[in-house]
Amino acid sequence: MSDDKIEILLVEDNPHDAELTIRSLRKVNLANKLIHVKDGAEALDFIFARGAFAHRKVENKPKVILLDIKMPKVDGIEVLRQIKSNESTKMIPVVIMTSSKEEQDIITSYNLGVNSYVVKPVDFEGFAKAVSELGFYWLMTNQAPE
Amino acid sequence: MSTRHNYLFNRLPIQQRLPILICSLLLVSIIAYGFANYYSLKKASLALGKERLNTIISELASSFSVSARAVIKTASATAAKKTVVECAKSNGSAYRQEATGELDKLYRDSTWVSEELVNKDFALILRSDKSIANPNLNLKDVISDAKIGPDSGKVGKIYSVKGAVYYPIISTVTDQKHIVGYIISWLILRNTPKTMEQFSQLIGIKADFYVKNNDGSLWTNLIVPLPNAPFKITGAHKIIEFESNDGKRMIAATQIVQHTDWAFVIAFSEHNMLTGVNDFVKWMLFIGIALLALGVLAAWYMSGSITKPLNQLMIAATNISQGNYSSPVPIDSQQTDEIGQLAVAFNTMMTQIYRMHHNLEIKVEERTAQLENVNTELEAFSYSVSHDLRTPLRAISGYAIMLKEDYEAELGAEGKRIIRNIISNAKMMGQLIDDLLSFSRLSKKELVRTHVDMQLLTENVINELVQPDMQSKYHFSTGALPPAEADPVMIKQVLLNLISNAIKYSSKRENPGIGIDAVVEEKRTVYYVKDNGAGFDMAYSDKLFGVFQRLHSQEEFEGSGVGLALVKRIIKKHNGDVWAEGLENGGATFYFSLPKV
Repeated sequence: MSDDKIEILLVEDNPHDAELTIRSLRKVNLANKLIHVKDGAEALDFIFARGAFAHRKVENKPKVILLDIKMPKVDGIEVLRQIKSNESTKMIPVVIMTSSKEEQDIITSYNLGVNSYVVKPVDFEGFAKAVSELGFYWLMTNQAPE
Repeated sequence: MSTRHNYLFNRLPIQQRLPILICSLLLVSIIAYGFANYYSLKKASLALGKERLNTIISELASSFSVSARAVIKTASATAAKKTVVECAKSNGSAYRQEATGELDKLYRDSTWVSEELVNKDFALILRSDKSIANPNLNLKDVISDAKIGPDSGKVGKIYSVKGAVYYPIISTVTDQKHIVGYIISWLILRNTPKTMEQFSQLIGIKADFYVKNNDGSLWTNLIVPLPNAPFKITGAHKIIEFESNDGKRMIAATQIVQHTDWAFVIAFSEHNMLTGVNDFVKWMLFIGIALLALGVLAAWYMSGSITKPLNQLMIAATNISQGNYSSPVPIDSQQTDEIGQLAVAFNTMMTQIYRMHHNLEIKVEERTAQLENVNTELEAFSYSVSHDLRTPLRAISGYAIMLKEDYEAELGAEGKRIIRNIISNAKMMGQLIDDLLSFSRLSKKELVRTHVDMQLLTENVINELVQPDMQSKYHFSTGALPPAEADPVMIKQVLLNLISNAIKYSSKRENPGIGIDAVVEEKRTVYYVKDNGAGFDMAYSDKLFGVFQRLHSQEEFEGSGVGLALVKRIIKKHNGDVWAEGLENGGATFYFSLPKV
């Protein structure tokens, strides 16, 4: 799969959550153009075509970034800040997907310009439903600027 | 009235109270001393005056009787002259010229107005040529009034004639012990007010001097005859007190004058006698006022010396009460009295309070820092709980579902049952975590008090909780619920928890009934939710409001055991109380109180 055709960038350090997310998206056929990175540093490398992703064309932006908050190295809030403060990337829709219901995280995220904030339901059924709806919305329904 | 005065007096500052007290004490003693002295002085000077009056009148009377006697003697000597006797005997035919000559010699001064020789039948024989006036009185009456015997003489009564006072000096002309005639010398009183005043000054006191006939028939002030007696006085050498016509208190004495038919009377006003005493009172008053002024000044100064340090203490105390410990009471090393000691003790106290206050502040800061640490840790903990406990839980539930979906055929009935249990337990644990989090978040939340329409809120909660299919089963009754001052979001949570509990625990009844009502007390309003459900054993009622405490099994009634703990925490935050009454299988009532609006 070519990096340039990526539609969903999943940033998630927990392999189980990642697996459940991918499975839920696959079930509705939205996981074909998905890349999973395991922390914020890797995510920034991908977005800005650096490090392991230096060969990538930075113009090929994903249609949506699903971003966890609590991650090693660089956390989700920092990734969000860098994306939204860069002219070339600030248009990319970012959906925070986290277990945290902390009011402060929600406020910070929205202040930084997050496009959506989703608290992962504990039960898998609810979680799968939320993920698939998200995928549909951002990949199919939402119209991004050209 | 007196309590009001006391109240006013006590409201005055000490600086003024002391001088007022001393001033009134001084005033009372000055008045008491003055009055006592005035009365004893008055008494003494009145007694002295009376004594003096006695002396004066006795001396006056005796000196006048001496001169009267001398005058009578002269007249008697003339009456004894042979020419006079013969003239009288002959009824004026013998020695007339000689007798006239003798009579002429009797004139002394201008008050001698006439010299007359009268026969034994009281007929006028001759009148001296030098006679200048004649009272023209009935001589028989005049002589018989005098009641005079042979070889004697007398000063007769005073007579009022044409506004003047006349009096006779009568001597009998006697031959062989038989009265043959009388010599009458007429005198007139020629005093003026001025001479009388001089006379009065001679006595030494401003007095009224009177002469009256012994029988009281006529009074004179020695200037003119008085038509009426100015007052009543009889007898000799007697002192009376009376009130004059113009209302003055008077003292008078009278004395019969020997060789005359007269009595002297001296009268003067008590006021004149008391001039000295009154002067004394004036001085006393002046000295009293001076003393008073001095006393007030001294008291003012003295109370100032007491209140000044007190004021300094007060200022220092006020400073301390405002948290200013840097202004101790200035201590005068000379002042070793109670107030000086008080100032020293006060400063020591101030230093200690300052030290304690300072230590307390340091401790408070330390504790606050510790508390903040604990709070931060707690926040981190709840964050972890929120995030880290949920993630593996989701994985458990997710993988169990994946197992069920992907390996259904191999699992068999028992395997599927086990997976179902895994999934439902994971779900319940998720619920537990959510409840616990909302419970711990509540402690961080600030109360936002507004007016809450409890009636409307309760109705909304019931509508939210009751699904359409339940409406026929449950019977709700809502009483009149007074409004409250509370956080509407939190109070809604309380009502939600209590009413949903009531619904849950009465769900197994045939006719579940839930009542919501309120009782207004003096300071609070008690709201309550009553049901006819499963109830509880009162022995465990203390466990009802604890976190994760449950009186029913999960199989009987589902629940996390956080709902009532949350209710308690919310109501406590509102300064209210929660309690419950129940009976096993006999329903339960949950009460909560809120401060009265």
